[in-house]
Amino acid sequence: MSKKFFSLLILMTLVVSLLPATAGAAPPAQAGGTTYTIQKDDWLSKLADKEYGDPLAFPAIVYYNNKKATEDPAFTLIEDPNLIEVGWTVYLPSPEEANAYLLGSIPAGAYNEAPMLAEMVAAGTLPPVDERLPDDPLIEPVDAEIGQYGGTIRRGFLGPSDHNNYTRVVYDALVRFSPTGGEVVPHIAAGWSSNEDFTEWTVRLRPGAKWSDGAPFTADDIMFWYNDILLNEELIASIPVWMQNADGSTVKVEKLGDYAVKWTYAEPNTAFLLELANKDGADRSILNLAFVPAHYVKQFHPSYVDAAELDAKVAAAGFDTWAELFAVEAMPHLSGKRPSMAAWAPDGTSVSDPVFTIKRNPYYIGVDPAGNQLPYVDEVRFTFFADSEALNLAAVAGEIDMQGRHIKMSNYPVFIENAEQGGYRVVLWPTFGGSDAVVMFNQTWTGPEVEMFQNKDFRIAMSYAIDRNAIRELVFLGLGELRQGVPAPFSPYYPGDEWAFKYTQHDPDLANQILDGVIPNKGADGFRTLPDGSPLDIEIGVVPEQFVAWDDVGQLIVEDWAKVGVKAHVELRERTLHFAMRPANELQVEIWNEDTTGFPFTGQPKFDPRSDPALCFAPLVRIWYQTNGAEGVEPTPVIKQIVDIIDEAKVSARGRQIELAQELFRIWADNVFEIGTVGLTPSVQGVVVVNANLRNVPAVAGNDWPLRTPGDTRPEQFFYAQ
Amino acid sequence: MLQYIIKRLLLLPLLLFIFSVFSFVIIQAPPGDFVTAYIAELATSGSSMDQAQIDALRQLYGLDQPMHIQYLKWIGRILRGDMGVSLDWQRPITQLIGERLLLTVALGAFTFGFTWVVAIPIGILSATRQYSFLDYFFTVFNYFGVATPTFMTALVLMWLAFSYFGISVTGLFSPEYVDAPWTWGRVLDLLKHLWLPAVILGLDGTARLARVMRANLLDELKKPYMEMARAKGLSEFRLVLKYPVRLALNPLVSTIGWYLPLLFSGSVIVATVMNLPTIGPMLLRALTSQDMFLAGSIILVYCCLAIIGTLLSDILLVWLDPRIRMEAS
Repeated sequence: MSKKFFSLLILMTLVVSLLPATAGAAPPAQAGGTTYTIQKDDWLSKLADKEYGDPLAFPAIVYYNNKKATEDPAFTLIEDPNLIEVGWTVYLPSPEEANAYLLGSIPAGAYNEAPMLAEMVAAGTLPPVDERLPDDPLIEPVDAEIGQYGGTIRRGFLGPSDHNNYTRVVYDALVRFSPTGGEVVPHIAAGWSSNEDFTEWTVRLRPGAKWSDGAPFTADDIMFWYNDILLNEELIASIPVWMQNADGSTVKVEKLGDYAVKWTYAEPNTAFLLELANKDGADRSILNLAFVPAHYVKQFHPSYVDAAELDAKVAAAGFDTWAELFAVEAMPHLSGKRPSMAAWAPDGTSVSDPVFTIKRNPYYIGVDPAGNQLPYVDEVRFTFFADSEALNLAAVAGEIDMQGRHIKMSNYPVFIENAEQGGYRVVLWPTFGGSDAVVMFNQTWTGPEVEMFQNKDFRIAMSYAIDRNAIRELVFLGLGELRQGVPAPFSPYYPGDEWAFKYTQHDPDLANQILDGVIPNKGADGFRTLPDGSPLDIEIGVVPEQFVAWDDVGQLIVEDWAKVGVKAHVELRERTLHFAMRPANELQVEIWNEDTTGFPFTGQPKFDPRSDPALCFAPLVRIWYQTNGAEGVEPTPVIKQIVDIIDEAKVSARGRQIELAQELFRIWADNVFEIGTVGLTPSVQGVVVVNANLRNVPAVAGNDWPLRTPGDTRPEQFFYAQ
Repeated sequence: MLQYIIKRLLLLPLLLFIFSVFSFVIIQAPPGDFVTAYIAELATSGSSMDQAQIDALRQLYGLDQPMHIQYLKWIGRILRGDMGVSLDWQRPITQLIGERLLLTVALGAFTFGFTWVVAIPIGILSATRQYSFLDYFFTVFNYFGVATPTFMTALVLMWLAFSYFGISVTGLFSPEYVDAPWTWGRVLDLLKHLWLPAVILGLDGTARLARVMRANLLDELKKPYMEMARAKGLSEFRLVLKYPVRLALNPLVSTIGWYLPLLFSGSVIVATVMNLPTIGPMLLRALTSQDMFLAGSIILVYCCLAIIGTLLSDILLVWLDPRIRMEAS
């Protein structure tokens, strides 16, 4: 009897502990809701319309009903809002409740937190959630539904130089790009404002926001970055471009109060927010910061600690200079101990460890629309793989929960085949525009071939000669569209179909016809020769083993070009060598991708000859700009026009920026300095393996490095269905 | 003998100095430096750096200084007993090597043990039963082992394990033990994972060793002393093991010292393919990313072990075969 009783007790305990830890209880359970039995022809949005005058209010019914259903079995749990059955008893919230839910205005004292944190609060080791959150927390929309707490997201990374794997998951910046990449939205910063002519930008912070160790986050954390990192010559050799005025002087940053900081530029700057959205410690570079936990990093800075004490710390860490130590301690993922503002903070491990774990930040500033503090998932675990193929194999075996990085598009069929067995699904996030394999002609090449590269008709003919469909079928598994390197149709910068598809039809006859006008002579081998009689053999530089098999693209293009009498060959090189040759003007033609069209006025756009690294567009023009015309090659009028457009856009208002961008891409496509082939494929970190139980991972997302994908999709609102 | 050993040991520092200069220069020989390699790596994930960032990195890592200064900085730290900080990992090199040393040596030792335990009996069997079915069988098997690159064997086995058992056999630990402290459970887990790479790595060596053993033994078996011993009535088993096998081992023992550096670095390609947390893949990474301090340090230790290994071989040989003697001083 007693044995049986105990078994029963254990069983019951088990059942209870297995019950979903619902994340409910956010808006106050004000009375006033009604109990309702589902009738024939009822559906939720109809009920919502009837009760609250808004058919879109149905998620409020789902939310309050499900909350009630876990307390009271008389109510039926709505698992799928699209599926309700006659006779179900549901709870309809009061209009006030529904309104509070929809507005996301969560009354103080109504926040909910993860069970693991609630335990710590109960034990007295952590302040209550209301004290941990800022006065006005960031209310983050969820992709599909309010989630549940718990679980681990397992990812793979390739060692310390894969630090951006972390950067992309946490996307720890003052402001962020939205999931589709269309706009900048508040994050750690509550908001911003600028003056009329965009020379002054004021960033507002959240009073009460705290670092992951509980210390307050204030304007001083930004001022420390400005005064003690940016302006410290031992740390930063030259001021990054975004913090420079046109005359080379440094942009002024000042504190307006504990929760407001003002940037003052000498000229109008409309790229400010785009820049700020990428100041998240990316590339593990202290130049990519805009705030640091001053209270923590002070202990590694000579302005705040005694020299002997600092020397001892530097020596203990094995470094030679304090700058080396500081560069590590200023980054959470290198230090392991440095407090963070992200949803998860390192547990003491770093990207140099075989397993790098980031754990729930109890002070994270964000909540979901129901008032549950984010993140839902307890921790993210990055496991080291020495080789990306081993990582892919682990993903096929279902040992990775959410990852597009290092997942190879060429393995896509294998992933699909094993999805069910591995317990995952595959989401495709195409590139953010451009073209995923482009052929770039060097406009300042010093060999005799340059005569052809600079000839627009020649380039047009070479574009017509390419059979893009074959490339799409053979290299891109039939995915994507045939296009030039211009923005995606959903981008405001899209110049129109006429330009996106210009010169992209496969027409060898037309190509031959054009070439007969430009380069009519042929040698004994049947290939066209240069006007001076010397043979033409174009060398296409390619780095193999990148995310796209560009070497295969190259071989296909060599064959296509041979058919119109132009000889070319592919030269495979090791990546570092290729990257050393490019700025040295040693590449004739190269194949890479055009992935910068979404952000033509920030970062290093590939059509701006001044960018580095970019492609071999015009390396000597870059030197000309660098030396103010003293060395290098003067740009042609068209290249100059491109540069002028970019410079004007950097100081223009949004409307004018869009006009300029469209103009820029019309010129770019028309001149075919680079030949686009296939674009909008999921080739760049776009084949995303997602655990079958992981929810709120959007089906559609902007996928690009500036968006920090998947950071832009808000991984803190991913959750495991239990 | 002792004098000889001391002489050889005294040469060690000079050799190491020469090696250190050579390895440092050769690692730096490819165009570009660590920062170039780093930028190239970042570019493949879509990110890019402006000139300010590049300058800052070169300044931070001291790459803007001339090569001899960089060398002196590095060698100075080695002389002081620490190997400096890896550019890539941003951590002390001694720590990085230390973390991987145990697993590397364990894998090397297992492979070595497997190779010898399997190869010697096969070699003896093949030689004493020359042209029998077993000899042919092992010959074919051995050629197969020599001819197939080990990484290929690894890939095939990994795929088979995945497609038939649904498991990925990469790594040396199950996920729950990767960063766990050492316990019996972890040791058992390690053994569960260690045998497969050890066998894969051992196949190649086993094949070679068995062939050499067979050839050596065949030479010995034809010698007159064998007839003599048989005539005296020594049992065949004792006879073979006691005299020809011992002699046939000599050439093998003379190469045993080469295993010492191998124990340290382990296999590079197989370990990379199978995702083993050993020193080999770290060396490969260091070379491709031009992290010259880390690569140089590993190569230096490797050279040092090679020299010591050769010395050990010589000493072993003398011990094993009394006929070999140093020229009398």
